[in-house]
Formats: sequence, C-alpha cells, structure tokens
Amino acid sequence: MTTVLAAKGLNKRFDDLVAVDGVSFEIAEGETFGLLGPNGAGKTTSISMVAGLLEPDSGTVHVGGTAIRTSSTDGRAEIGLVPQELAIYPDLTGAENLKFFGRLYDMAGDELERRVGEVLEVIGLSDRKDDLTREYSGGMQRRLNIGIGLLHRPRLLILDEPTVGVDPQSRNSILESVENLSGQGIAVLYTTHYMEEAERLCDRVAIIDEGVIQAEGTRRELVSLVGEKDRIRVTMTGDVEEVARIASELPNVHEASVSDSGVDVLAAEASTLLPELLSRVSAAGANVTGVAVFEPNLEAVFLHLTGKALRD
Amino acid sequence: MGAATRIAGKDLKLRLRDRSVFILGIITPLALAYIFHLVFGNAFSADSLELEVGLVDLDGSAVSQSLGEVLADLDADGILVLSEFDDPVAAEAAVEQGDIGALIELEPGLGDAVLMGQPFTIEVVGDVDSPTSTQVASSIASEFGSAVERAQLSVATAVELGQGPPPEDVAAWGQEAAQRPPAFTFTDVSADTRQLDANTFFAAGMAVFFLFFTVQFGVVGILEEKQGGTMARLLAAPISHASVVAGKAILSFVLGVISMAVLMVATHFLMGAQWGPPLGVALLVVTGVLAATAIMGVIAGAATTADGAGNLGAVIAVILGMLGGTFFPIGQGNELLARLSYLTPHAWFMRGLADISGGAEWTAALPAAGALLLFSVVFGAVAWALLRRKLGK
Repeated sequence: MTTVLAAKGLNKRFDDLVAVDGVSFEIAEGETFGLLGPNGAGKTTSISMVAGLLEPDSGTVHVGGTAIRTSSTDGRAEIGLVPQELAIYPDLTGAENLKFFGRLYDMAGDELERRVGEVLEVIGLSDRKDDLTREYSGGMQRRLNIGIGLLHRPRLLILDEPTVGVDPQSRNSILESVENLSGQGIAVLYTTHYMEEAERLCDRVAIIDEGVIQAEGTRRELVSLVGEKDRIRVTMTGDVEEVARIASELPNVHEASVSDSGVDVLAAEASTLLPELLSRVSAAGANVTGVAVFEPNLEAVFLHLTGKALRD
Repeated sequence: MGAATRIAGKDLKLRLRDRSVFILGIITPLALAYIFHLVFGNAFSADSLELEVGLVDLDGSAVSQSLGEVLADLDADGILVLSEFDDPVAAEAAVEQGDIGALIELEPGLGDAVLMGQPFTIEVVGDVDSPTSTQVASSIASEFGSAVERAQLSVATAVELGQGPPPEDVAAWGQEAAQRPPAFTFTDVSADTRQLDANTFFAAGMAVFFLFFTVQFGVVGILEEKQGGTMARLLAAPISHASVVAGKAILSFVLGVISMAVLMVATHFLMGAQWGPPLGVALLVVTGVLAATAIMGVIAGAATTADGAGNLGAVIAVILGMLGGTFFPIGQGNELLARLSYLTPHAWFMRGLADISGGAEWTAALPAAGALLLFSVVFGAVAWALLRRKLGK
C-alpha cells in the first residue's frame, strides 16, 4: 500500500522539557494509526509537527511525498486536521462553517456546495445545517468538527482525541464515523488515551510516553511483544481437574488451572484453540455452561512497558 | 490575498451578527457627539460667551470715568455687553435676577482717594451662575486697581521730591492703566484660525476616539481565534500566516472606515457638522484608520488574551484620546500639552480636519495625513512582527 505519511526522527524541546524524542512512524493509505498515551505523553506535540503547526527541532514529515514545514503551505491540502478543542465558529451555521473552511482549501461554487451537502449527510447534520452551531449539542459540534476536517477530501486525517468530553452516545457515533474512513482510503492518525478506542479503531498503534514511542505494531503484535496470553474461562459441571489436565496438554496452551466454577486456560491465541478445547471438554464428559475469552489489552501492555496506567 | 479577504469576510459576518460593533462603532460615538452638541454646541463661538457686565459709577471722577470708557470700548468691540446703572440697588438686583453676569461698583470718593494716595475699593458683584462674566469683571477691576496703585506710588514719590503732578496727569495715568490688557485673554476661535466649529469638533472627536475601539474588533480576533481553538485549523490550511494577520487587519480597516463614514454623514445631517472637501476628509479617514489599526495591532500582539487586549486597548485609547484633544481642544491650553498631543494620531486627525475646514483645499490635509501614515508604518511594522511571532508559537 502507498505510504501517505512518513514521520522520521521528530524531536521537539520546550526549554528544559523534551516533549518529543525521536518519534518515527508511517501510515499507509486506508490505514488507521493510533498514538496511544496518557496526557502529556507527547501526542499533541507530535501531531502538531505532522500538521505543520509546529516546526520540529529535528526530523522530517512527508505527506504524499511532500515535506511539511511551518514556513510553507506545500502539502497542507493533503491534510485534514481535527483539533482536540472544538474548532468551529459558534455564531456561524453548520453549513457556513463548512463553506468557510472549504474556501480556504480553494473549493468554490457547485463543487463546494455539493461537498458540503455530502459531509453534512455523513455527519448527520443535514437537517440542522442552517442552525447556528452554538445551538448544537456537544456531540453535534464534535461531529461538525470532524466534518470540517474531512471536507476537502484529505489523504491524511489527523484526529486529536476527538472524543474527549463527549457523551457515550455521541462517542459511539464518532467512532463509527472514523471506522468508515478506512474504507474510503483515507490514512487516519488518531491520538487517544482511551485504550478501548485504540483497540477498536486502529490497525496499528504506537504507544507513546514521555515523548518516546515505547512500542509500535498491531494490537496482536504489541500484546505478543510483552508475552501476554488470551485467557479462556470455561464454566462447567463435571470433573474439572480432568478437564484442566486435558487442556494443559493441548498445543499453544501456556497454563490450565481449576477455577471456582470451571477451568481457566492461558493460551497464545484463543480463537484457534477454542474449537479443539471445547471438543476435548465434551469428550471428557463435562457439561459446558459458559465460555468467556479475555484477550490481553493495550492497557496491560502500556502498564508493562511504562510501569504506569494510561490514566495516571 | 484571497485567503485574507475570505477570513475578513467571515469575521465581518460574525461581527455584524454580534452587534457590539454597531454599539461601539456607531451608536455610542453618535450619541455622545450629539449630547456634546446639545450641551456645548456653541461653545467655541465668540457670540456664545455673552459676557454681561454692569457698571455703577458713583464717583464720577476722571479716574472712574476712565474705567467706564475702557468697558465701553470692549462693548463696542463685541467682547462684552456693558450695562450702566445709576442706582446701585437696581444694579445689584440685576445681578441677582441674572440680567447681568457681574457688576463693577465704583464708590464715591474713588478719584479723590487715588489723588490723595489713600486706599480705595472697587467692588465686583458676581452672579454665581455666570462664573465667566464674574471672572472677567474681577480681572478688569483687579488690573485697573493694580495699575492705579502703581500710579499712586509714582505720585507719592514725586510729591516726596516736591514735584507733585497736576491732578489731570494722574487721571490720564489712571486711564492709561485701565487700558492695559486685562488679565484674561479672549481668543476668537473661528475657522480662519484653523479651529473646527464646536459641532464638527465633537463629531470628529468622538468619531476618532471610538475608532480605536472599533478597529479592535479586527486585530483582537487573532487572540479570539487562538482561544476559540480555530487558529490551529486556520494555520493547518494551505494559507500563509501572513494571510491570517492580513485578514484581521482588513476587517479592522473596513470596520473603521464604515464607522467613520456613517458617523460623518449622520453628524452632518443631525448636528450640522462641516467636514470640508471630501477628498481631504477621505485621505484623513483612510490614514487615521490605518494608524488606529496599527496601534491596536501592537496591543493585540503584546497581549496574551482577547480580554487582556480589550482592557489594555481601552486604557490606551482613552489616554491617547484625552491627550489627542478629542474631548476638548487641548491646543488651546498648556503649550507642553499642545506639543505632546502631536504624539497621538488623534491630534493629527483633528488638526487635518481643521486644516481643510473653512474653505481650504483638500491638499491642506496632506501634512496631517502624512503624519498619520507615519504612525501606520511604524506601528504597523511592530504589530506585524508581534502578530506573526504570536502565530508561530
């Protein structure tokens, strides 16, 4: 796949504080890449350099092969930015906000009108397009915030913690909108300190802390990097000790132990193991009453890598 | 330039919806100018002073008559209105009733006292509601008395030397003393002395005073965009930082010109303000608005928040407005203040308007317009640097 964003060796220091230290990553077309880290980890500084808002002390950013610099407008049209703060004008209507920012990207006339209509449909605000945005709910304002970033059909969309302070319903709506973007071939750079969002949305995730990328890869790669296993909890009636012994002999099983109401199995990959495990349990004469799979999550990975929780 | 005009257009729409620009840019200055017009409408006219002074000469000597003659001359010149009374009771009643502003009473024996070198009294009765007339009458009486005292001293010295002057000479000296210039000065302020009439003065003063508040709506927008979160989106767009600054400056300029134009037209019809040749007025308005925008741009560049810029801007606008003589003609007062006033664009704007008033050519505005342009260039360069730096942070 074509690389849309290439950030190499980004460094940024504010007086004595090293905000970003050697950050590098690439994002391909249609890929959603997450920067996961707690507040103050260097996420916003990193994306500010990617968006051309902040000049790195060293390192380079290329979008679509064009170098991004604060002193130049080259390549800016390829980027759509959705800042963490709401970046809309409350005394303009939704449509007026979209049109104003569209004109800054040299959109005009029928093309602008058509595209504004499309984006309003996508973000579900067509019926409120002529209302002042100060009258919108928080979730509607957030959706418009994202819509403005999408308006000019950027190849790279940068979303800086777009769900901060949003109610659960609106949050889900925003996440669905972002999920749909990868299908349109847009490269998405998504920063968050919510592990669930990174896991749900991102094809690859970089875990960042104190300005340094601690690890990067798919969720599976990150989890395996630190040796975490899936946990399968089988609740049953019958000879649980015999079932535990049988399970422990299966390939890729790290450990099988008796729990209160059944057997807990630690395995490399639950999804491939589960059919065989259930078959063996039935063959042993046990009556399975429930199965639950607990995959190791990024929170655990972050904890393992940094020694602290994401929300510390 | 396209991006700058788009930003200015968006901001203009926001400001018009906000409506505060109407209040600060048009309604308030118009209302204040109109109030000043009602209160001080004829303040700068010689006719408006109406100095009404009465005289009761109970002495009738050559010395007392000499003062009467001087007052009669001032009456003839239109500087004051003299009313002569025979009856002191009637004269004092006239003061009491406000028919005259002040009364000079010359008691019997004044002439003899002067000739004998004895103390004498000149009474001034003033109406509390006519402080100017009272002050003028007191000054005339005081100067007359001082001059006569000096004459008495000369006479006493001559007598001591055995060369006493004849009484008619002493009377002549008294008359001469009375003709000395009074302690107060009276300046006939009119167009040919490069002074705006009162209505135009107050209209122009309020217009340029509030101009500094009006243009703030543009340049302070940079701080509002930063606080509102929209600046990041503007800077991420394929437009230069200069376009953002220029967009705000364009809005300041447009709002300033619109408010000045509306005020000038409105005050012409409502208050009879006379602005002079349109080309000269336009030149002063354009350069004045540029200067105001530049100065307020420096404030926006130096401040960290929009509220801070608003407060600092208001303080600066009031100080410059007062020093620049937008509330009263500061050039008529202290010389130092008059010179200092030219450190403000306000003073140059007012002077430019005065220069083209009274039938002068529009080119008479060029010196003031040049000074305003200098303000624009100097402060504009500083503002540009500060605001560009602010966007880079």
